[in-house]
Amino acid sequence: MRTTVLRVDTTQLLKGVLDLAVLAALRDEDGYGYDILRRLRAAGLEDVGDASVYGTLRRLFNGGLLNTYVVPSDEGPHRKYYALNAAGRAELQRSGKVWRGFASMMDDLLRERGTA
Amino acid sequence: MIGTEQHEITAYLYAVRAALRDLPESTRDELLEDLPEHLAEVLAEAGGTLLERLGPPEAYAAELRASAGFVGGFPDPPPPSRLVALRSALLGWLRVADGKAGPMLGYERASEFLLLLRPAWWVLRGYLLAMVLAWMLDDSGQPMGLLPRIGGSEVVAVLLIAGAVLGSIWLGRRSFRSAGQWPRWALYAGSTVLVLVAIGGFFNADSSTRNDNYSDANYTYDGNPFSNVQDVFVYDQQGRLVTGAQIFDQDGTQIVLGNPYCTDETTGEYTHTDHMGYPYCPGDAPFATPSAERAAPADPSASVSPTGVPSASPTRSAGR
Repeated sequence: MRTTVLRVDTTQLLKGVLDLAVLAALRDEDGYGYDILRRLRAAGLEDVGDASVYGTLRRLFNGGLLNTYVVPSDEGPHRKYYALNAAGRAELQRSGKVWRGFASMMDDLLRERGTA
Repeated sequence: MIGTEQHEITAYLYAVRAALRDLPESTRDELLEDLPEHLAEVLAEAGGTLLERLGPPEAYAAELRASAGFVGGFPDPPPPSRLVALRSALLGWLRVADGKAGPMLGYERASEFLLLLRPAWWVLRGYLLAMVLAWMLDDSGQPMGLLPRIGGSEVVAVLLIAGAVLGSIWLGRRSFRSAGQWPRWALYAGSTVLVLVAIGGFFNADSSTRNDNYSDANYTYDGNPFSNVQDVFVYDQQGRLVTGAQIFDQDGTQIVLGNPYCTDETTGEYTHTDHMGYPYCPGDAPFATPSAERAAPADPSASVSPTGVPSASPTRSAGR
């Protein structure tokens, strides 16, 4: 029998928390697609893909967590801005709590075993 | 410059759309709704073509698909319509009933037993087909009975049954699996018509068997031989019409027959008669000739005055 050892890397981890990351990037300020990608990269998620962010935005919008509005621009194309609505904020709070609990549990676990 | 950028975006978008062609069109349109603007943003950032910055459109599409939640790559099957759902529910019940009823008949499933009855159905179908054919072809107006008589002929009926039964068996032994949908639907529709005819015919035959005791002739279905009596004419011994007659049965109950309405000969009006007793309409008497010729030899006294007694009766009856 073949066994697979899952190597932990940022890409793997990101899959589970990209929704939360995008919600967090919109917490303080509305943003358009590329803007949000830039915020995530600036925060340190350099591997995050453009299509992943775009697709996540579409999915969160379809899930009713985001509102959108179009802002005309003089120098480029019109931009569609995404904004957290009440449901999005509630989800950010809930998922954020889950993530903090999970992260601190992992922290404890790694510290106890002396691997960190 | 803008022209080239627009061209690049269009080409990239086209390739992404092509890679997502298996998604339902509405889903794909929704997913790609903002992509032109988004790609324009990406291009507006200095630093190379879309291909260099975003990778091949196919990879971009795959990432988009994964992150937007369409992982399977197959469109969701359309929800079953209510009719289809009802059909599958009915089929499910049938299957349960099939399994439950089977042991009672001594088979694992009732359908196994019914399958054995198939040739019997072919024979019955042939007979029913012959009946329907005879009913359509026969214009003799005679009652057909239980044989497919054409023009009242038993020979034709037997030949017709034989032919139809053989044809039905031949049809039954043929496999319709390879045939298209139309022949099969036609067969089902035809069978349905035959079954309906059979049910109707059965109840008809049943009721006419039950009524046999009351009707001796084929044309009286209500069993009353006096139902076609419109009026009653009573003649005395001399053949003279009796007017104002009343008739009674053994219990003294008056016997009421006919229809007390008359057509007035002069006006043509159809009105209630003013005659008490029979006949209601003396003018319609079947033997209207006064007893002058017939009664005269029989009654010599009447011949004395030909315009006397015998003519008095018609005059009296005519004077309404």
